[in-house]
Amino acid sequence: MSTINFANREINFKIVYYGPGLSGKTTNLKWIYGKIPEGRKGEMVSLATEDERTLFFDFLPLDLGEVKGFKTRFHLYTVPGQVFYNASRKLILRGVDGIVFVADSAPGRLRANAESMRNMRENLAEYGLKVEDLPVVLQVNKRDLPDALPVEMVQAVVDPEKRFPVFEAVATEGKGVFETLKEVSRLVLARVGST
Amino acid sequence: MVEPSLVLYGALYERAMEVLEETLRETGARYGLLIDRKGFVLAHKEALWAPKPPPLDSLATLVAGNAAATQALAKLLGEVRFQELVHQGERMGLYVDEAGEHALLLLVFDENAPLGKVKLYGKRAAEALARLAEEALANPPKLSLDTQYREEAKALLDELFGN
Repeated sequence: MSTINFANREINFKIVYYGPGLSGKTTNLKWIYGKIPEGRKGEMVSLATEDERTLFFDFLPLDLGEVKGFKTRFHLYTVPGQVFYNASRKLILRGVDGIVFVADSAPGRLRANAESMRNMRENLAEYGLKVEDLPVVLQVNKRDLPDALPVEMVQAVVDPEKRFPVFEAVATEGKGVFETLKEVSRLVLARVGST
Repeated sequence: MVEPSLVLYGALYERAMEVLEETLRETGARYGLLIDRKGFVLAHKEALWAPKPPPLDSLATLVAGNAAATQALAKLLGEVRFQELVHQGERMGLYVDEAGEHALLLLVFDENAPLGKVKLYGKRAAEALARLAEEALANPPKLSLDTQYREEAKALLDELFGN
C-alpha cells in the first residue's frame, strides 16, 4: 500500500503511532524529531489543543535515503488517544503501512490499553484491514514508573497471542524509541515487492 | 475497502502535469498539486513566477486530513460529499477538490487570482485528473523491487537509527 511516485522516484510509507491517551505517542515523535539530523526530516506538524493533547494528528516526514534509485521516505503520524476523538483516529488509519502501538505501563491504564487495541481493530476493519495483515510493533512505554506493570501483563491484554515484536521504552528519555521505529520500518520495507 | 496504491508514471504522469500547468496558466494560481487521500504528493507544478512554496509534505498531509474530516462531516449530515473546499485569507487562498475517489486537487493562489476562475478551472482540472487517476488504477504498474532493495534499505535504517 506504499505510495510510489515514479516521476520523482520516491517510495513513501505511512506509519501510525496508535495507543491510549497519554501513553507517549507524541513524545515518541518529538524525540525522533529532536534526534534526526537536518536534511533527513521535514517539518513536524502538530494539531493539538492548548494543553498539548493531540486533537487530530502529529506528522513527521523522514527521509531514509536513496535505495536502488528510489528516495525512500516514511511519514510518521500519531492519532489522538483520547476516547472521544475516534472519528479523527479512524481517518488517520487510511492507507497505513505499519503501526506502532504505544502501551502505557501504569497499573491504572491496563484497561485503556486493551480498549485502545480493540478500537484499533475496529477502525482497521472499516478499511477492510486486520491487525494480522499489517506490520505492528508493540512498544511498552513508561518503564521508569515505580509501579510499572510487568511487560508480560501489558502484552497479555493487548496481544495475548504474542504476535507483535515488543520493545520496552521510556520515551521521555528516548529509550527504546529508535529501536521501535527501526523495527516497524524494517517490517514495512520487508513487504515491498513481496505483496 | 483496502486503500489502493495510486501510481502515476509515464504518459499518465505527463498528462497530469499538463493539466496542472494549464490550470495554473488559466487561473493565475501559484501551485497546483495532485495528492492521494493518504496525504502523499503524486504530482506538483509551480508557476514560473511563484516564490518557493511551503513544505509540500505538510501541505499535502494537512489538506488530506482536512478533506477526510470534511467528508466525514458530510456523511454525518447524510450527504455523499460536500462540494469543493475554499479557504481564503487576506492574501492567500486554497482550493481543494476531489479528483475522483482516491485523489485530491489542491490549488494555492494569491489575491491576484480571481476566485471565480480558480473555481471554474479547478473543477475542470479535478475532473480531468479524476479520469487519469481511474486509468492509473485500472493499469497499476508492477514494481519489481527485489531483496537487494530490502538489504540496502536495511543498511540505511542502521545508519539513521543506529545498530
